[in-house]
Amino acid sequence: MTEKKQPKRDSLTNEFNQTMKPVSLWTDAWRRLRKNKMAFAGLIIIGVFGLLSFTAPILPIHSYETQVTEHQNLRPSFRPAGQLMIETRTSYFKQVMEAEGRTELNDEEKAEISSMEQSVQTNPIHKQMYLLGTDSLGRDMLSRVLYGGRISIGIGLVGTFFSMLVGISLGSIAGYVGGRLDNLLMRFVDILYGLPYMLVVIIMMALFGKNIINLFIAIALISWLTLCRVVRGQIISLKNAEFVEAARSMGASTPRIIFRHLTPNTLGVIVVFSTLMVPQFIMNESFLSFLGLGISAPMASWGSLVAEGASVMDLYPWQLLVPAISMTVFLFAMNFLGDGLRDALDPQSKNKL
Amino acid sequence: MTRFMIRRFLSLIPTVFLIITFAFIIVRSAPGGPFTSEKGRPPEIVENLKKHYDLDKPIFTQYLLYMGKIMKGNLGPSTRFKDFTVNEVIGTALPVSMLLGILALSLAVLSGVAAGIISALRQNSWVDYLAMSFAVVGISVPLFVIGPVLKLFLALKWKLLPTSGWFGGRYSWVVIIMPVLTLALPYLASIARLTRASVLEVLRADYIRTARSKGLSETVVILKHVLKGALLPVISFLGPAFAGIITGTVVVEQIFTIPGMGRPYIQAAINRDYGVILGDVIVFSLILVLMNFLVDIFYGFLDPRISYK
Repeated sequence: MTEKKQPKRDSLTNEFNQTMKPVSLWTDAWRRLRKNKMAFAGLIIIGVFGLLSFTAPILPIHSYETQVTEHQNLRPSFRPAGQLMIETRTSYFKQVMEAEGRTELNDEEKAEISSMEQSVQTNPIHKQMYLLGTDSLGRDMLSRVLYGGRISIGIGLVGTFFSMLVGISLGSIAGYVGGRLDNLLMRFVDILYGLPYMLVVIIMMALFGKNIINLFIAIALISWLTLCRVVRGQIISLKNAEFVEAARSMGASTPRIIFRHLTPNTLGVIVVFSTLMVPQFIMNESFLSFLGLGISAPMASWGSLVAEGASVMDLYPWQLLVPAISMTVFLFAMNFLGDGLRDALDPQSKNKL
Repeated sequence: MTRFMIRRFLSLIPTVFLIITFAFIIVRSAPGGPFTSEKGRPPEIVENLKKHYDLDKPIFTQYLLYMGKIMKGNLGPSTRFKDFTVNEVIGTALPVSMLLGILALSLAVLSGVAAGIISALRQNSWVDYLAMSFAVVGISVPLFVIGPVLKLFLALKWKLLPTSGWFGGRYSWVVIIMPVLTLALPYLASIARLTRASVLEVLRADYIRTARSKGLSETVVILKHVLKGALLPVISFLGPAFAGIITGTVVVEQIFTIPGMGRPYIQAAINRDYGVILGDVIVFSLILVLMNFLVDIFYGFLDPRISYK
C-alpha cells in the first residue's frame, strides 16, 4: 500500500478515496458571480471602462485640451469635421435667412462659406472625426469623457483604498481591544456621523482651494466611518471564536491576532462594501465638480463635464448626454457588480438592499 | 421611555456643541479672511473692519464671543451681504429649502413604501420588474444628472413645465414639480427597494401566519401586521436620507435656480463669509440631529423588542 500516491497536503479525500479539491470561499464566490448575468455584465463593462480610460494617453484619440476654434459645438458624427462645420454654419444661415425673410444668402455669408470650403480643402485638421461631437471650445468630447472617467474612476479607487486602510485598522483595533478605547472611538465616529458631511466638504474645498490633493483629502476624510463600524461589529462577533483562542494560547501578539487572524475573516464584507463605496466616491467627487468646487479646467471629471453640458443643453444636448450616459452606465455596472458580489459572498443576504 | 427620551435629548447638546466647534476650527484654520480679496482698500480700513467684526481679537476670545452670541440665538452679522444679519439671510432662505425638502421626503416615503409593498406582493410579476428596474436607475443616477436631463426633456423639449424659478414669479406651484421630483427620486428608489426586501421577509414570519389563520382579511394583515414590521428598516434609513436630502437641496437649488439655502451657502464658503457659513452649518446640523432623534424615538414606538433602560 505504500506505493499509493499520497494525496497532496491541501486536498481532501472523500469516502470513495477520490481526491477532492477544497473549494475556497473565493472560488465558490467567483462561480456564483459568473452565474449572475447582470453582475458579470457589470464586471465586463467596468473592465472596458477601466481599460479605455487608463490607456487613454496611448489611444488614437485627440488630446482632451486641444481647442480647435472652428470646430465648436459639432454634433456627434462619423463624418469629417470640415463637412460638418460647413453644414452647421449653412443651416444656421438658413435660419437667419428665414427670420429675416430673405430667400438667398447675402454676400458676407457666401464669402464665409466659400472661405470655409477653401480651408477645408487645404487644412488637414478638418479631416478629423469627432465620434461624440465637440464642446463649446472645440475640444473632442470622446477624449474629454475618457480623461474625465480617468479622474473620476481614479478618485473612486484611491478614495476607497484610503478609507479601507483607515476603516479596517481602526475598526479592527476598536473591536478587538474594546473597553475605553472602543468607547472613545465610537463616540468620535458618532459625532462625525452627525455632521452634514458633503456640506463640510463644500466649505473645505472652498476655503482650502481646489486641487486634486485637497479633493482627495476632503472626500476621504469621513468616508471610513461606515466601514469602521461594520468591521468592528464583525470583529466583536469573531473575537471569542476558537481559532482566536488557539492563536492566543500559542502566544501570538495582539497585532498578529488582529491583522493575521481576525481581519482576513472579515474580507467578504469589506469587498462588498468597497465595491459599493467606489460609486459613492465618484458621485461625491462629481457632486463637488458640478458645483464648481472640484476639478478645474482644462482637466475634467464626469461631474464637471455634466455641469458644462447642462449649461448649454438646450442648443447642444449631446454635451450633456454624452458624459451623463457614460457616468450612468458606469455607476449602473458598479451597482450591479456590488449586488452580485454581496450575493456571491453571502448567499443568505439575498435581496437585501 | 420618557426618561430615555430626555436622556437621549440631553445627549444631543454636546453633539451639536462639538459640531459647531469643529466647523469653527475648519473655517478659521483656512488661509485668508473675508476682507483679503478686496483690492485697493487701505490696510487701516481693513483693520477697522476687522475690529468691527471682532476679527482682531485672539482666536479663542472670538470663539467664546461667538458661542455667547449663539446662546442668545444671534448668529451675528454677515460680512458679505451688507446690511443683513445672518439670522435674516437664513430666515428668508430656510423656509424655501424646508418646503422643498419636506415635499421631496414625503413623496419619497409615501410612493417608495407603496411601490415596495406592491412589488413584494406581486413578486416576479411585470409590475415588480418594472418598479425594481426604475429603482436601480434611481439609485445609480446622481441628482445632478437627473435634474438637467429632466429639465432638457420636460421643460425644453416638450415644454410641459417651466425650466426654473420659484413661486411669486411668473409661475404658480408647477415650478416646484421638477425640483421635488429630482430630489425625491434617489430616496424613493432606495425606500422602494428596502420596503420590498423587508416585506418579503416579514411575509414569511410566523406572526403573519398566525394573523392569517385567525381569519383576518388580507387587507388587515398587510396594512396592520406586515406594514408595521416591514417599516422598521425604512425608518432607520430615514436618518441618512435626511442628510442626503439636505445636501441634495444645495444641488437642486443650483440646477433650478431656487432662492433657498444652497446658493448663499456656496457663495459664503467662497467669499469666506464666516457668519453665514457657520450659521448655515449650525442650522443644517440642528435639523439633522433633531431628525435623527425623532427617528430613534419613533423606532422605539414601532418595535416592541427594543427596551429602554
